[in-house]
Amino acid sequence: MKKRETGMTRRGLLQSTAGVGVAAAAGVLGPFDFARAQGMDLAATSGEPIYFRGWNFRTDVVQANVERYNTNLNGKVDYATVTGDYPSIMEKSLIANADLDVLYANPSSAVRYYGGNWIMPVDDMPNAEEIKAGMYDNIREAWSYKGKLLGLSYFVSTRGTMCINTEKFQAAGFGEEDYPKDWPELYSMLYKLRDKGEKTPYLAHWFAEWFGISWGFVFEMMNRGGVMADPETHKPMMTVDGPAGQTLEDWKKIWKDGFVPEEVLSYNEAAYIDAFRSGRYIISPQQIYDLKTFNDPEQSAAVAGKIGFLPYQGQPWGLIDSAMYLMTSRDRPDAVTDDVKKFASWYGYKNEDGQIAVAERWMKENMLFSAYKEVMESDLAKETIQASISNPDDYEKLIEVYSHTPFPKGIWSVVWSEEFNAWLREKLFAFLQQDLSVESVITEANDEIARLNKKYKID
Amino acid sequence: MSNLQFALLVTVPVLCFLVIVVAYPLGYALWVSFHEVSFFGGYSTEWVGLDNYVAVLEDGDFWRSALLSVRFTVESVIFTMLIGLGLALILRDLRGRWVWLRAILILPWAVSPYGTGILFAFLGRGQSGIGTAFISLFGSEETINLIAANIVVEYLALGNAWNLAPLLAFFLLASMMTTPSRLYDLAAIDQINRFEVFLHVTLPPLRFTFFVFTCIITVLSLKQFDYIFTETQGGPGNASSVLTYQLYKISFVNLELGLGAAMSFYLLFLILAVTLGLYFFWGRREARNA
Repeated sequence: MKKRETGMTRRGLLQSTAGVGVAAAAGVLGPFDFARAQGMDLAATSGEPIYFRGWNFRTDVVQANVERYNTNLNGKVDYATVTGDYPSIMEKSLIANADLDVLYANPSSAVRYYGGNWIMPVDDMPNAEEIKAGMYDNIREAWSYKGKLLGLSYFVSTRGTMCINTEKFQAAGFGEEDYPKDWPELYSMLYKLRDKGEKTPYLAHWFAEWFGISWGFVFEMMNRGGVMADPETHKPMMTVDGPAGQTLEDWKKIWKDGFVPEEVLSYNEAAYIDAFRSGRYIISPQQIYDLKTFNDPEQSAAVAGKIGFLPYQGQPWGLIDSAMYLMTSRDRPDAVTDDVKKFASWYGYKNEDGQIAVAERWMKENMLFSAYKEVMESDLAKETIQASISNPDDYEKLIEVYSHTPFPKGIWSVVWSEEFNAWLREKLFAFLQQDLSVESVITEANDEIARLNKKYKID
Repeated sequence: MSNLQFALLVTVPVLCFLVIVVAYPLGYALWVSFHEVSFFGGYSTEWVGLDNYVAVLEDGDFWRSALLSVRFTVESVIFTMLIGLGLALILRDLRGRWVWLRAILILPWAVSPYGTGILFAFLGRGQSGIGTAFISLFGSEETINLIAANIVVEYLALGNAWNLAPLLAFFLLASMMTTPSRLYDLAAIDQINRFEVFLHVTLPPLRFTFFVFTCIITVLSLKQFDYIFTETQGGPGNASSVLTYQLYKISFVNLELGLGAAMSFYLLFLILAVTLGLYFFWGRREARNA
């Protein structure tokens, strides 16, 4: 089956940007020029609050950014976090026309929100074309729906970067030359590690969050070359003897052979990360930016400096996990809507000095990748990444892993994405715990996609 | 002003308040349960009659979740009664400098269900939990996971009871404190043993409190959601996907509000049936004895 990949090449990623980015770096343009270049004055004028909501991640950084905007540009941005089932809670807020102007969202949620007419696309901003031009084509395409760019760049990551505890791996008698090239080799390696006495060689991406086990299945079957649903028609495409079936066969085998503790199925993301940085496991699919967390002695004393990753050797690892800043389309005075666009542009693109300051700060603080070429191709990005991985010489290998990561457009760029994800999560748990057959899961998954297409009148 | 007018004057505001906060949402939910609601391609509703109610009854997940709810509730009641009674007996016998513990023991009840869920999630997990910590005292390197599919409902019920039992304990303690001490004196004269004293002197005055709290704990447990969501998210897998969790998933993840509303009325019927049953078979007898 045809793979969908980002289309971003290593060379492309590492190439210097021309035009605006270079001019900015050279300091050729002043703040006012940039404001004009973006086609808008970024200072708030309505005097009304702008409600900005997101999930709970580095609230200190976000709060500091918001305060800077409020101070420098006369803003009245009200920032708060939302805990719990984030996509559902935000969806209810949007339906209820609640006080909500700018929010975080994953692409699949953004498509659903756009389907409900609850958000306005970036295309409605005066500097939309400039923003689009600054993004990598593959990410812009992933974040676009029905020809509209749905949001501004928060972060981009490879969820499913195959992290490896090099110290334990070497202690078991293996080296880099033994690194698995693909999923079948990885599962084969688990048995070799067990033979060497390792009780817990693998921490599977089977945790309980809405982006846990279901996304684990999606990226594994895509990595093996599979497609769950057609990217254009969204018709189901899984087969029992294809990558989807092979993935489930392997899951069943390692589950029955006791490689995955049952408690993983009830982990939240924090517990999942804690489990890997405890040093108990050797291999685990994780977020690419968590390499920084794992190699930081202050955050991961047990494994810091020892966590490497499996390089790209013909098969991609993981999927593109990303988030955007969305602007809602709720009823409000035009002056407030203008302020929403200004704040979104300042926060999700460039500040009054013409710098992509927020994205650069995320890169520096947490190694969050960006959709903007100007950020990813900067010296700051390279230095940050090199300082965050156990071997700085692996910088290009990491970029290569990232550049080959696929995006599941067939099931994420469609309004039923969240519903299917919830269904898939439960079905996969049942597959493991109730010993369902591979055939029944694949058949039911295809049927569920067909049912959702019918429900939402998608031909 | 006549008695009737005065009665109306003082009750109408309350009735208005109840209409706003109870009757309107209930009536709206009833209306929604007979419709299919769509938010995509513009908000729309379509009358579907009893289809949602029939669909719920034909859904195997509904029955499985209902059984999990009943299991969780029964176990929560039993654990709460046992823990509450045990705490009350301990609090009753506290003397001198230990009396301050009576104030401390109420603290679990002051913890929100959300907080209780997070706390018990940490305590239950193999890598960070109390079971693993305990066996490590004996040199074991194994892990004990209390959030396992076969025991997760019992573990949830235990946490629920930990949260609720202190309140019951204080009500039981209040009843115990009003039991005439001469009854214990008479029991001493009759030379009956401690268990018989407990059975024939301590327990009888507590029966009405037990009845009331059985009803309260039953209702609270049947509609418990946030505690379960934060602790297990209905898992592992769907092993703790009780009725409220199923409702949440249908209504707020899948946005099938009509189906969710219909299911919520079955939950309401279940709660009413259980509480009426408790009153019919137990409450009336206690009322007569009182």
